[in-house]
Amino acid sequence: MTKPKIAFFDFTSCEGCQLTVVDLLQTHLGLLDLVEIVQFREAMTEKGEDYQIAFIEGSCTRESDEERLYKIREQADLVVALGACAHLGGVNAMKNRWSIENVQTYVYGENGKDNYESYGARPISAVIKVDAAIPGCPIDRFEFLKIVQMVLQGRTPKLPDYPLCVECKLKENGCLNTMGKPCLGPITRAGCNAICPTYGDGCEACRGFAPEANFEYMREILRGHGLSEEDIDARFSMFNHYQLMQMGEDAPLSKPIVEPDAPLPTSTFAAPQEN
Amino acid sequence: MIASSAPNLTTTTIPKEYDGHTSIFLPTMATVVDVQPETKTEKIFTLRLPDGENLNHNPGQFVMLSIPGVGEAPFGVMTSPSRTGETFKLCIRNAGDLTSLIHQLKPGDQVGIRGPFGRGFPHDTFVGKDILVAPGGLALAAPALSLIDEILDHRTDYGRLIILYGARNPSELLLKDRLAEWEKRDDVELQVTVDHPDDEWTGNVGVITTLFEHIQINPYKTIAVTIGPPIMYRFVTMELLGKGLTPDQIWMSFERRMKCGVGKCGHCQVNHRYACQEGPSWTYAEALAFEEAL
Amino acid sequence: MSLYILSKEQLGEFVEKLQAKFRVVGPVRTEYGYAFDDITKPEQLELNYSTTILPPKKYFLPQREVLFEFESETDDKGLRSYEVRPIFQEVEPTVIFGVHTCDMHGITLYDRVFAEGYRDEHYVERRENTYIIGMECLTPCDDASFCKDMGTLSAPQVYDLHMTPMNDHYMVDTGTERGEKLLLDHVYVEMARKEDIQQLGQVLSSKWPRFKMRLKVTRDQTPSLLTLGYKAKLWEELGEKCLACGSCTNVCPTCFCFDVQDEMDINMTDGERSRVWDSCQLREFALVAGGHNFRDTKASRVRHRVMRKGKYIKQVHGITGCVGCGRCERACLVNITIPGTINNLHDEMHPEPEKA
Repeated sequence: MTKPKIAFFDFTSCEGCQLTVVDLLQTHLGLLDLVEIVQFREAMTEKGEDYQIAFIEGSCTRESDEERLYKIREQADLVVALGACAHLGGVNAMKNRWSIENVQTYVYGENGKDNYESYGARPISAVIKVDAAIPGCPIDRFEFLKIVQMVLQGRTPKLPDYPLCVECKLKENGCLNTMGKPCLGPITRAGCNAICPTYGDGCEACRGFAPEANFEYMREILRGHGLSEEDIDARFSMFNHYQLMQMGEDAPLSKPIVEPDAPLPTSTFAAPQEN
Repeated sequence: MIASSAPNLTTTTIPKEYDGHTSIFLPTMATVVDVQPETKTEKIFTLRLPDGENLNHNPGQFVMLSIPGVGEAPFGVMTSPSRTGETFKLCIRNAGDLTSLIHQLKPGDQVGIRGPFGRGFPHDTFVGKDILVAPGGLALAAPALSLIDEILDHRTDYGRLIILYGARNPSELLLKDRLAEWEKRDDVELQVTVDHPDDEWTGNVGVITTLFEHIQINPYKTIAVTIGPPIMYRFVTMELLGKGLTPDQIWMSFERRMKCGVGKCGHCQVNHRYACQEGPSWTYAEALAFEEAL
Repeated sequence: MSLYILSKEQLGEFVEKLQAKFRVVGPVRTEYGYAFDDITKPEQLELNYSTTILPPKKYFLPQREVLFEFESETDDKGLRSYEVRPIFQEVEPTVIFGVHTCDMHGITLYDRVFAEGYRDEHYVERRENTYIIGMECLTPCDDASFCKDMGTLSAPQVYDLHMTPMNDHYMVDTGTERGEKLLLDHVYVEMARKEDIQQLGQVLSSKWPRFKMRLKVTRDQTPSLLTLGYKAKLWEELGEKCLACGSCTNVCPTCFCFDVQDEMDINMTDGERSRVWDSCQLREFALVAGGHNFRDTKASRVRHRVMRKGKYIKQVHGITGCVGCGRCERACLVNITIPGTINNLHDEMHPEPEKA
C-alpha cells in the first residue's frame, strides 16, 4: 500500500493545533508508517507539493489568503480543517463585530491602519469545500488520530453530534453548572472527552455547537449563575461568532452581533491612539 | 449463579465458545465467495460460513454483518431456506460508511456474521393460502425473495402467488432475470411499476399502490406481505384493507437501527418491543397496537 | 442464612481483611458529594453517604467495555482475513460496599436484561465475580428521592450481605452462602440475639414515615396513565426544555442501552470492538442508514424515556424501570423530573372539574 502524502498549512492561528500533532508524533510514531508528511512547517524544512490530504489550521482573515486556499484545494483530494479557527473561524472572528476600518484603527493606530490587509475572519469552509473537520482549541490528539485512521479506511470522518455532557457524565465529573461555574457543555459538540470540565473549567464551546443545541434553556441556566445578557452573548460568541453571524436574526443573542460602529473595548493591546 | 428463567437463546453463529468463555458478540468469519453488481447502487454478495455450515434461517430473518474495525449492521437475508446450502446471499445498497466499504469487498475477503436474528415471516402458517407479496425497491431482493423462493420451491403447498413490485425508475429494478422468469410462469402473477419511467419503459407507471387496481384477491384466503419504507406502508395497507383483508392478514417488516441483534442495546425498540427479537416482521394488527410502528 | 452483629469498630478490620483478597469499592467523598470508587484505606468508606452521580452499574456494565479484539491479515492478492478473540478481562473478585436499596433494584433488572434471552457472559462474569454488600436506607438521600413511590425502599434478593446501621453496630443479613462465608471468614461477628432482631424491627419500621410520597398515582397505576397520556401536550413542553444531553439516562441505574464501536490500532491491521453507554435521548439513537429517524424530535425521545421507565421495561422484564433514586432529577439542568412528569401528565389527563 502506498502511503498517502499529507501536508499541513497554517493561516491565522496560534499553531497550537499543529503543535498538538507534533506532540502526538512523539507518542504515536507509528503514524509515520501510515502516512508520509511532505509539508509541515512546525516539524520540517522540506516542502513537497504532491500531497493528497491537506490539514489546514487557522481561519481566513485576508482576501489574499483565498488564492492560497484555492491552490491547496486544487492539489488535495481531501481537505481537513484543523482546529477551531479553521473549523469555525474561532476567536479570530470576534473582531467581525465591528467594521474592519474600526478594528484596523484600533489595532494599528490611525497611521498604521492602511499598512496591513484584513477582512472579516471566516472558517476555511467559507472559502473552499472542506471534507472534514477536527474541532477544538486546540484539537484533541486522539480525535486527530481517529480521523486520520477513518480517512485511511476510506470512510467519511464523523464527529459526535451530541453535547459534551455525555462525556462528562461517563467520567462521573461533578456538573460545574450545579457547582456555581458556568459551563457551555450542554450546547457544545462532544469529542474532547470533556477535558476542560474534568479539570474544573467551564466549557467555552470551542468545538462548535451541538446540532440540537438548546440555546434558550442554556441562557436560562447561565442567568442562574448571575450572568448578564451581554455576558451570555459574549460566552456564546467567543468561539462561535461567525456561526452566530450566519444565523442572522435567529441567533440566540440578546442583541445584534454585528455593530460596525460600536466603541471598541479599552485594552492594553490596543495601539496608542494619536489625537 | 445468575439464574435465567427462560432457556438461553441460540442461533447458528452465537453464542460462540472461545477459550472457556462464550460470547454473543463474537462474529463468525464468513468468506465472500461471489460479488455481483445488481444496479448502480446495489451489489449481491454470496457468503459462506466456515465449513459451509447452513445458516438455518427463516424467510424474513436478518444477519448482523461486520467488517472488523469499521462496524456492524443488520441485513435481511436474500436466499430462501430452501435454496440455502453452503452459501447464502445478501443484497446490499451502498448507502453509507460501512456499506461503501462492503461494496469494495472481493471474493476471498472475510466478513463477520452473527445471526440469523429476529422473527421472520411464519411461512408455515401461510400454507394453503394465496400469497400477495408487495415489496418496494431494495426489499424485493431482501427479504421478500427469501419468502418468494420458499413458496416457489414448495409451490403446491400454496395458492396463488401474486408479486407487486415497485421501484423508483427502471434502472433501479432489481433481479431483472428473476422478474423475466416469473413473468413467464403461469403460477406467478407479477406486476411491476416504476415511479419515473425512461424512454424505453413500456410497463406500468406510478407508485406501487397503482398496481392494486389490476388485481383481484379472495379476502378469505389471502396473506399479504409488504416490505418497504414507512410511507409505503401507510398507502399499501389502505389498499389491502380496501380489498377486505383484515390487519392480521397483512405482514410487514420494519427497518430499525440495530447495534446488537440480541435484544440488549435498546436501539431497535418500537415502543416496548425489540425489532431484533420479536420483529422485524409484524402483522399490521400487531403494529397498530404500538404507536411507534408506523 | 442468618442475621449477624458486626460492631462498628470492626468495620475497618473487615475492609482491611477483604482488601488482601479483593478489590474493595464503595462510596467515597468527592469534591461534589460522593462516588463509588476504589477503597484503599478503610476510613475512605462513607457508608453514611447520600447518593452518587453514577450508580454501581458501572462495575457490571462499564462505560466502555471491549467485547472482542481482532487481527487482520492481507494476502498478496489484497484479500483480508481476520482472527477474532473475545475479551473477558480478568475480573478481579470485587466487593461493593454500601449499595442502596434502589440501586439493588437496578441490579435486579440488569440481571434479567443481560442474563435472560441471549445470555451475555460479559455481564454475567463481572456480576458473578462481584459481591454486593447492601446498605439499608434509614433516611431519604434528599428531596429528589422517591423510592417509596417506586417500592424500592427495601432490599431485593440480590445482595450477598446487607447491612443496617444500628447504634454501635451493623445488623448484617446474609443473602447468599458465599456472602455468609465472606463475612465469617474475614471478621469476628456474633449471631444476632432475639433482642437485637427486635431492635432491628423497630429501626426498620420507624424509617417508613421519614420517606415522602411524591407521585399522585401509584407505581402500578403509572403504566395505564402513560398509555392514556401517549399523545399528551406535556411531551412537547418537555421536548422544548430538554437539552438532549443524555445525562438522565447515563446516571440511571436501570438504563442499559449501549452503542457498539470499532477502533483500529495505529498499525491499521488490528483493533477491537467495544460497547459504550448510549442514550435514547441523543439524536442518532434511532436513526437508520437511509436517513430516517424514528425519534426525530426531542419530545418523542423524552416520552420514550418516561415510557420505558414507567411502562415498557415492566412489560418486557416484569419490573418497573424506575427505582426512584432521583439521580436523573439531580442531573437535569432544566428540571425535567420523573415525579413532575408523572404528576403533570396525571393533571393533564384528569383535569379538575371546574368549580361552579
